[in-house]
Amino acid sequence: MGELEDRRTAVSEARFESLLDTAADGVIVIDETGRMLVFNKICERLFGYSSAEAIGQNVSLIMPPEFSVSHDRFMNNYHRTGEKRIIGIGREVSGMHRDGSVFPLELSVGEAKTADGRQYIGVLRDLRSRRAVEQRVSQLQAQVVHMTRLSAMDEMGAAMAHELNQPLTALLLYLQAVARQIKTCFADNKPPSDKMLGVLDKAVQEAERASHIVQRMRQMVEKRDPERATIDLREVVNEALDLSEFVAQGATVTIRRVFGMTPIHVDADATQIQQIILNLLRNALEVAKESEERWVKVSIGADDRSAFVSVTDSGPGFSEDVSKSLFKTFSTTKKSGMGLGLAISRAIAQNHGGDLMADPGGNGQGATFTLMLPMHHLDETEDDTWG
Amino acid sequence: MYIIVEDDPSVADALESLLSGAGLPVRVFASAEEFIHSSSLTSEDTMIVDLGLPGMSGGELVRHLEKAGATPKVIAISGKSSRTIARETEGLSDLKILRKPPAADWLEAITA
Repeated sequence: MGELEDRRTAVSEARFESLLDTAADGVIVIDETGRMLVFNKICERLFGYSSAEAIGQNVSLIMPPEFSVSHDRFMNNYHRTGEKRIIGIGREVSGMHRDGSVFPLELSVGEAKTADGRQYIGVLRDLRSRRAVEQRVSQLQAQVVHMTRLSAMDEMGAAMAHELNQPLTALLLYLQAVARQIKTCFADNKPPSDKMLGVLDKAVQEAERASHIVQRMRQMVEKRDPERATIDLREVVNEALDLSEFVAQGATVTIRRVFGMTPIHVDADATQIQQIILNLLRNALEVAKESEERWVKVSIGADDRSAFVSVTDSGPGFSEDVSKSLFKTFSTTKKSGMGLGLAISRAIAQNHGGDLMADPGGNGQGATFTLMLPMHHLDETEDDTWG
Repeated sequence: MYIIVEDDPSVADALESLLSGAGLPVRVFASAEEFIHSSSLTSEDTMIVDLGLPGMSGGELVRHLEKAGATPKVIAISGKSSRTIARETEGLSDLKILRKPPAADWLEAITA
């Protein structure tokens, strides 16, 4: 009887072993204390330890130090409260190879109640190849953004030429005036007057006005790698609005800015955020231009977790059908083809851990597009004042 | 009298500097409306008007003056494309056009 049972157990164990070793994913079993009981072939390859080396050791062996410290705490917490943070859920974690390199893993955890106490089965999938694809996609995204920015530049080119015309005209006229006066002075054998210096000062101011315009345009055009920095959303949006007033010039649409007094810090690529704002603004201005009241409202706000920028126009809003297809990449519900712009904008927002949402409005209400970004949180090191 | 109607304060001021520096009498107005409400023209005057004024445009101002029977010498200035200028000045006779930014000495062009 006992022998038969032993044999059955042996057979099922052999089956289990072979199952583990043919599995395409890493499989680890740990006990309640975090000790590894099973460490399959894939795991050997992933982490660089043989199963003989790994079995019996704490699972923190294959975690980066910052995770291994909290792992014991998580397990204790679960044993005490029964609150599931990962079991049956699965999430992305980091693993550490024997050589110290850290890599992304997808981890799903199951729980088994055995005679020897609770055991946890972890299934691990290497995310490095998926990560490479994601990186490629975000590179492409950056390129597409760059391209759309350039075509927006084309449109702005004419507007900018007009904007530069004014300071250049004033500058040249001031210089013509001074040149004439100096010639007259020479002819009359008189010294140049203070008045001429005053005119030259004005000429310098106009030259500065022109170069300021060029500088701002250059900032928008230059291709930069996505740079994350802690930025004040109000400043970044303000700059984009200033820029778009070149485009709006002549069209009598009022841009209302509803900004608070306190800085709103987010971690983001300022140029990409401006690209989103410009896109939303361009659409809104186009709609507002055809409306009776002709305004676009841009408001910025925040709660503890998220910051948001809302762009509302005085137009009639979207029909339900249109609002459904708004974010589809190539939807051409509108002559300007804003589908692509919105889809890219949303992709950028999501890349930043945020989102782009549309309230279609209607019934006398204009549409509102809201860009949401996670707030910057001071981490502990920044927070420390050290008395 | 030289009348300048130009909404960009820098351009207006620079033009005034150029003309008054040469000893010419100048008056500056920021819009067509401001000019109409406060002044009138004689045939001795020269008006320098920006075509792209907000509100009543430069072209409309010239048309308005022609209707009122005043036919001063008019010089239009504009930073827009030649096609836009042609459209904005359609039907206006005897109009000298100076394009922004200046490619030559404007004082000579204005007083010629």
